[in-house]
Amino acid sequence: MNGTRDRGDTKTSDEGEGLDPRGAANLLVQTQRQAQRELDFRSPWLSLLAAAGVLVGFGAVWLSVRGQHPYKGPTPAGLIVLYAFVVIRIGSVVYAHRRAQAGVSGRSAQRRQAEGAALAVVLVAVYVVMAALASDGASDGVVYGVYVATATMLVLGTFGAARSAVREDWHELGLSLAVVLVAAGSAFAGPRGVWLSNGVGLCVVLLGNSAAQAWLLRASRSDA
Amino acid sequence: MTADTLDPLIHVPARLQIVATLAALPDGDALSFTRLQEMIGLTPGNLITHLRKLEDADYLITEKTGNGPASRTSVALTHRGRAALETYTETLRGLLGGGL
Repeated sequence: MNGTRDRGDTKTSDEGEGLDPRGAANLLVQTQRQAQRELDFRSPWLSLLAAAGVLVGFGAVWLSVRGQHPYKGPTPAGLIVLYAFVVIRIGSVVYAHRRAQAGVSGRSAQRRQAEGAALAVVLVAVYVVMAALASDGASDGVVYGVYVATATMLVLGTFGAARSAVREDWHELGLSLAVVLVAAGSAFAGPRGVWLSNGVGLCVVLLGNSAAQAWLLRASRSDA
Repeated sequence: MTADTLDPLIHVPARLQIVATLAALPDGDALSFTRLQEMIGLTPGNLITHLRKLEDADYLITEKTGNGPASRTSVALTHRGRAALETYTETLRGLLGGGL
């Protein structure tokens, strides 16, 4: 919004005169859409950044393992690139979220904290199971390849799907289920291919998500 | 049905914007006065006047926390306010022949 308007301080506008039903309907729809846009941290650019990052992160790990015979697992250099992407992704989402939700307080903030804590516990459990698999003698290809590359994504996708289903956020539900499908399908690509399959699959999903968000944003702006 | 059937408390541009903006929040959430002012673009004095009218009708609730410069006022729609907006929207739909 540019500037500060002084509205409704005269008797005429305070009584609603001059606001016909069509004008009221337009103002209502426009205000609702604008509020939803401003309170929502998601954006096509954020998805586009994630699409590029996921391709680079998983691609770096794939490059580090593709020549390994026998399979040993991602090299430190590959993992550094992947974790750098994860850190940048978390940082950009937190920044965008804080900006969009500035001034908002109440039950949903408490719910988000509880969700975050639950997700952290589940992610730790994924790595505890990985340690258990390694100590039980499972092959490096399973532990440091197929399992670790898919389990994290399956957990994140399932968590997102359950959360969005409860909130009836069908766009987010579709995105989360697509992540689950990419992870499940990538498990068939083997310990080396799983990284490439995850990277390309997630990149395509996030590009689609970015395009869908841009289209929805343009549609809501042109309707308003 | 005529435009007179529309809730006169909401059928004012500034108050319609206030109620519609607060309704975009999930039930149980509140918005700070400053953020609401930024989103709607009213002057503080004007916003206070409209908020008071809506609060008097039990359409919204304001809560002040803290003291001095660190104090913060938050505004939330009540169930009655949310229901009033729904009724207003339905009445508008009826007036416009179903389209909104």
